[in-house]
Amino acid sequence: MIPRPPVASERPNGLAVMLRTTWRIQRRSALVWVLVLGATMIGTAASVAALYDTPAKIRTYADAVRSGTALVAINGRVEGIDSLGGVIQDEFGFMAAFLLPLVGIGLVARATRREEESGRLELLLGGRIARQAPTAAALLVATATILATGALFTVGLSLAGLPLARAVLYALSLCALAIVFAGLAALLAQLTLHARTVYAGGLIVLAASYVLRGVGDARRSWVVWLSPLGWEEKTAPFGAQRWWVLALPLVVALALSGVALSVAFGRDLGSALVRGGPGPRRATARLRSPIGLALWIHRPAALGWLAGGVMLAGMMGALSQQLVDAMAGNPAIATAMGIADARPIDGMVAATQLYLAVISAGYVVQAIGTLRAEEAGGRVETRLSTTLSRSRWLASHALVVLGGLLTIVLGSSLALGLATALSAGDLHELGPTLTSGLAYLPAELVLAGLALGTYGLRPRLFGIAWAGYAVMTFIAFLGPGLRFHQWLLDLSPTTHVGNPPVGAVPTGALAILMALAVTLAAIGFAGFRRRGIPQL
Amino acid sequence: MTETAPVVRAEGLTKVFGNVRALDGLDLTVLRGEVHGFLGPNGAGKSTTIRVVLGLMKATSGHVELFGGDPWREASRLHRKLAYVPGDVALWSGLTGGQCLDVLGAGHGGVDQRRRSELVERFELDPTKRVRDYSKGNRQKVALIAALAADAELLVLDEPTSGLDPLMEQAFQQCVRERRHAGVAVLLSSHIMGEVEALADRVSIIRRGRTVSTGTLADLRRHTRTAVHAVTERNPDGLSEAEGVADHHRERLDGHVDSRLTVDPEHLDAVIGRLHVAGIHTLTVTPPSLDALFLRNYGERPDGAATADGGSVAGVSR
Repeated sequence: MIPRPPVASERPNGLAVMLRTTWRIQRRSALVWVLVLGATMIGTAASVAALYDTPAKIRTYADAVRSGTALVAINGRVEGIDSLGGVIQDEFGFMAAFLLPLVGIGLVARATRREEESGRLELLLGGRIARQAPTAAALLVATATILATGALFTVGLSLAGLPLARAVLYALSLCALAIVFAGLAALLAQLTLHARTVYAGGLIVLAASYVLRGVGDARRSWVVWLSPLGWEEKTAPFGAQRWWVLALPLVVALALSGVALSVAFGRDLGSALVRGGPGPRRATARLRSPIGLALWIHRPAALGWLAGGVMLAGMMGALSQQLVDAMAGNPAIATAMGIADARPIDGMVAATQLYLAVISAGYVVQAIGTLRAEEAGGRVETRLSTTLSRSRWLASHALVVLGGLLTIVLGSSLALGLATALSAGDLHELGPTLTSGLAYLPAELVLAGLALGTYGLRPRLFGIAWAGYAVMTFIAFLGPGLRFHQWLLDLSPTTHVGNPPVGAVPTGALAILMALAVTLAAIGFAGFRRRGIPQL
Repeated sequence: MTETAPVVRAEGLTKVFGNVRALDGLDLTVLRGEVHGFLGPNGAGKSTTIRVVLGLMKATSGHVELFGGDPWREASRLHRKLAYVPGDVALWSGLTGGQCLDVLGAGHGGVDQRRRSELVERFELDPTKRVRDYSKGNRQKVALIAALAADAELLVLDEPTSGLDPLMEQAFQQCVRERRHAGVAVLLSSHIMGEVEALADRVSIIRRGRTVSTGTLADLRRHTRTAVHAVTERNPDGLSEAEGVADHHRERLDGHVDSRLTVDPEHLDAVIGRLHVAGIHTLTVTPPSLDALFLRNYGERPDGAATADGGSVAGVSR
């Protein structure tokens, strides 16, 4: 027997070390999640409380929601919809259904499979850290983050004037939802080889949960109880207050985590149950061209943003008739969407197009941001050490991103136009819907120019492009509702598009936006030709 | 450009990042058809030099020529004649190895398809695997195969074998020799002495962004010493006083005499003569190794380092 040094037995599985490490890796993204989610809930609760300040207005809202099954399918069948809390739950429902599961999946996937994939976990497990400690630490840090978010939720709901017990139950039901998906991600991270597969698997389960909950709610069927989103809804914080329902997600989360921990304990490092098969032996002629490779790089993200845009557009279009009815009942809804004093259906299209512009601009900034990742990963250096010139490389990417932008704008506008036509029974809306989508292109290109300019000059400054995007999103979403000063509204390029199809599109302003976009892009190209590569 | 003109010529290169001097008056000449070892410790400026030579970065001052042209201004034209393997091989993780080979090959002046498939076999690469499933060594193989299959006049290899196993390193060395016989020049950056010793015709050793030593391997060897360990029947005469001998230690062992010493290569014959007279029982002569020189250059301040022949002797084989 080799005598063991006493130090080794102090912390037999290194959980404390692992917790510290995980916290180090996660604290920034955890903080961002807590703040963004907390602020969203506080903002939603406060603005709903301000808009629906009389029982009559709340009743109108409740009647509008109950009038069809579409809104019920989208936001859920909220018990107690005729109370302030019910309205908040309904308004927050769609966002919560996606954001909270994403927190759970993201926090756990980052700390487990991504770390293992990168080889960093190997370094730690070579020390005296038990094999299951990283998973345990990831789950604990994720749970703490989620509970912190829940605390902010409670504060926001209480500030809006809701009773504490109901606020706590609603916050806990949302936390439980996130924790179920954290447990799911922990298990998926043990079964699959790559972090992106964990995300994909988690999102598939989420989509299935959403569909089950939607179908169940629309048909008043028991299948709601099969969905984690259904459990969240069935706690009925603003209705019957069923605290016991919280036990369902908690038991499932514990079971998932337990299985994940035991798999982590028993399997080899770097192994997985699910592995990909072989791929093509040769590259196609298209992939060998600079444009083809750029297309391959940008396609998945573009399709994701397109799917988001089409989903939003389709949903808004399908609901257009109901929205028009709801607005007729409560003018405050129109004011909140920034479309008072207009033909309701035009107002709905205009509001949706503004949201789509935010989505499209988000794609553009994110897509150009991947060039930074390409450079940091060393792939730009590899590309530019060949016969490919700097200008051609950047131009091929810019062109592909532009193509992606056009696809997203046209695809989403088409979905919006068709869905509106189906819902309102009138194809006349299709033309104006498409042209109003295209009218936002110059504004989106200003963001593209900003992104290209900062990337070309100095990739480290790329945060400026995201900051610009954040300002634009903030003004687009909240500006009309919160009645900002004109100079503040003017900071966003979307303000200058003129809110089509409600308002007229000022051609001169669009020309100025285009000129600005082209100038910024030219600065980016010139800077990129002159700077050292790689610059991180 | 004449036949004897160097493929790479850098004189007095400096490169300043903020307040860090990455290159500080670096000289480097790679001649047509030679394998040039580019040695230096981590952070000495090897990769920065290569990036300046490739036109990816612009030198703060100094002169650099690639195939007689300015790499900063004519990068993509000059790259037609070269292939580069970066130190950290970066590929697209969703593509397969085979797809990466083709994507990389499309950027080269031309690819010899027969050599490509031959190399895939020799390096035992599975081209249907995704890059993200490759080990570091396998990713490196992809970049190496792409470079070795290219119809290039110059291969720039930045620490190309750090992830390869010894068997694959053998295959790599064989391939580099074959390319050299085909007239291809190779700039081989490394901090592994054995690799450079096995392949290079000439060597430049750099330290802190400055060239401290350059010349043919024979030149550099002249500055190293041969180690001799002999066991003789009798006490060899006058070893300590013999010309060129240093570090002489002697002890008696089981009735024999055990001698250890180092000697300049040109005085080896005289030393062996004296040992022979004393009746050799066993004899070990360790040939001059660059390791000693390498370590000396790394350890000392650059001003105190030896500078061998300034680089006028080309292509001396060992």
